[in-house]
Amino acid sequence: MLVETAGLTKVFGEVRAVDDLTVKIPDGAIGLVGPNGAGKTTFLRLLLSLVRPTAGTAKVLGRDIEDGVLVRERIGYMPEHDCLIPDMTGVGLVSYMGRISGLGRDTAMSRSHDVLQFVGVEEERYRKVAEYSTGMKQKVKLAQAMVHDPELYIFDEPTTGLDPRGRTEMLDLVRTIAKSPGRNVILSSHLLPDVETICKYVVILDGGHQIAAGELSQLLAGATDRLRIDVRGDREGFARMLNEGGFDADAGPTGLHVARKPGLEAAVFETAKALGAEVRYMGKEIRSLEELFLELVARTEKRGA
Amino acid sequence: MSITLPTYSRLEIPLLGRRERLWAIIATGLRQGVRRPAAIAITVLGAAFTTITSIILLFLSFLLPAGQGTGLSFFAVPASNPFVLFFVSAMAAVIGSGLIADDIQSMAFTLYLSRPITQLDYLLAKAAILAPLVALVTILPLLLTALVAAFLGLLSWTIALEAMGISLVIGGLLTLFYTAVTLFLSSLTRRKGIAAAGVFAVNFGLTIPAGILAESIQNPSILYLSPWNDYLAIANAAFGASGAGIDWPVALAILLGVTVLAALVTYVRMKAVEVITG
Repeated sequence: MLVETAGLTKVFGEVRAVDDLTVKIPDGAIGLVGPNGAGKTTFLRLLLSLVRPTAGTAKVLGRDIEDGVLVRERIGYMPEHDCLIPDMTGVGLVSYMGRISGLGRDTAMSRSHDVLQFVGVEEERYRKVAEYSTGMKQKVKLAQAMVHDPELYIFDEPTTGLDPRGRTEMLDLVRTIAKSPGRNVILSSHLLPDVETICKYVVILDGGHQIAAGELSQLLAGATDRLRIDVRGDREGFARMLNEGGFDADAGPTGLHVARKPGLEAAVFETAKALGAEVRYMGKEIRSLEELFLELVARTEKRGA
Repeated sequence: MSITLPTYSRLEIPLLGRRERLWAIIATGLRQGVRRPAAIAITVLGAAFTTITSIILLFLSFLLPAGQGTGLSFFAVPASNPFVLFFVSAMAAVIGSGLIADDIQSMAFTLYLSRPITQLDYLLAKAAILAPLVALVTILPLLLTALVAAFLGLLSWTIALEAMGISLVIGGLLTLFYTAVTLFLSSLTRRKGIAAAGVFAVNFGLTIPAGILAESIQNPSILYLSPWNDYLAIANAAFGASGAGIDWPVALAILLGVTVLAALVTYVRMKAVEVITG
């Protein structure tokens, strides 16, 4: 198991940033998604043992997060915010971080050249970090996370501030790492398409709670006993009429979800005719991560209200 | 972008231990420090000025009546050298003020703590960058003066060695005090200029008014407020010179207390900074 938590809680004053989180995350490429303030960064910091949990326990790569130093030896962390030392050169900084991680001087230097080449900072490696563009800084942040060859990479919003080309390059790099044997990735992002293209397993957080976790393919497939219907027109009215006809229909933010039942197809088209609506899709419940996320958040809000 | 992920295996090269990790921070910090012209200037000037003036004072001591100048108590004079106060403040301000403040400003602190080190390791490494440089002004001149005096036969080797031992202790105390206070001030702010101003405020903002006030109201207890006067009381007592107007045990307790408190508060502050910068 990559990460295993039990009742993990972190409270800052009156804010429960992570609230009673119990999750088992398998090895591989893991997406951690949630809106701003969902508790993603706090969760990552708990895993890195940068903050102590208020309650609960967590294990990363089989080791308790109380053993902070031993856990961090096996993790490469790419923080969201700008955090590079501006006076150092790219190669100097990456090598320095390698040495603090426990690499010998020569190993750290040769390794930093390797990883900088891998991320695409080559000629510029001898320039000071302060002179780098946002894209290059992001790449150096990635390189410093890689330098000691960790088993687990934690990327916190790696595409923040990047232009479309930079974003594609960064995602390619993350994907390459995620596909490498023996390497695991936790990708935290609120850019759901980024997560969808790289990760096989997702944990969705909202308000410090886990609202869903599982294989991405299974979560997106949804329930097999329900159909999804996309309607152009009065969706709420459409669902109401189907319910009045004895069907179990639910108008979500991304479409209608109706329990399969004999006579459903006919009822759908009759309802569309009656309402003057247009049925644009009727079939298996295949969703994008964004749609799933919106549904789950809406459901959580409804429950909270 | 390059083609392949480097095929480096950590299993073949085990990670080095805590000592090597801390040494990496110390060595890099010292290298960065000595690359800055202001840091080089203040370090060289500080070490040279304090050493030269101490040796000049040694030769001047022969102008004093026999027996008064060249005993162990003579070393209270170079230990009280006002250049020490000036240069130790300048070095702490120029070199030490940014040690933590710069990392908070650039948020590199997060990067440090994401590595396999603790907050305490980080602080110890930062202290180990500043302390040797401060010691160039607080300890080295006294050691060199005793050595010169012994080599020239101005003092017996017994007295010189005794003076060197005392110099290490009292100079070490002053070094620890300035290191702890400077790192504490540096941890309070993102701007090293503010920390540097704080160092000068602690030194001159307390020493000068305390001196004036103590004299005007004829109450030497006010001098306890000044770390420099506390140090002078300890140095005078250690070298067997006449007193500085205040009791050395109280002065020692104050200097040690402030040093320990500053170190503790800095540690607590460091544990909180990570949460704030997030």
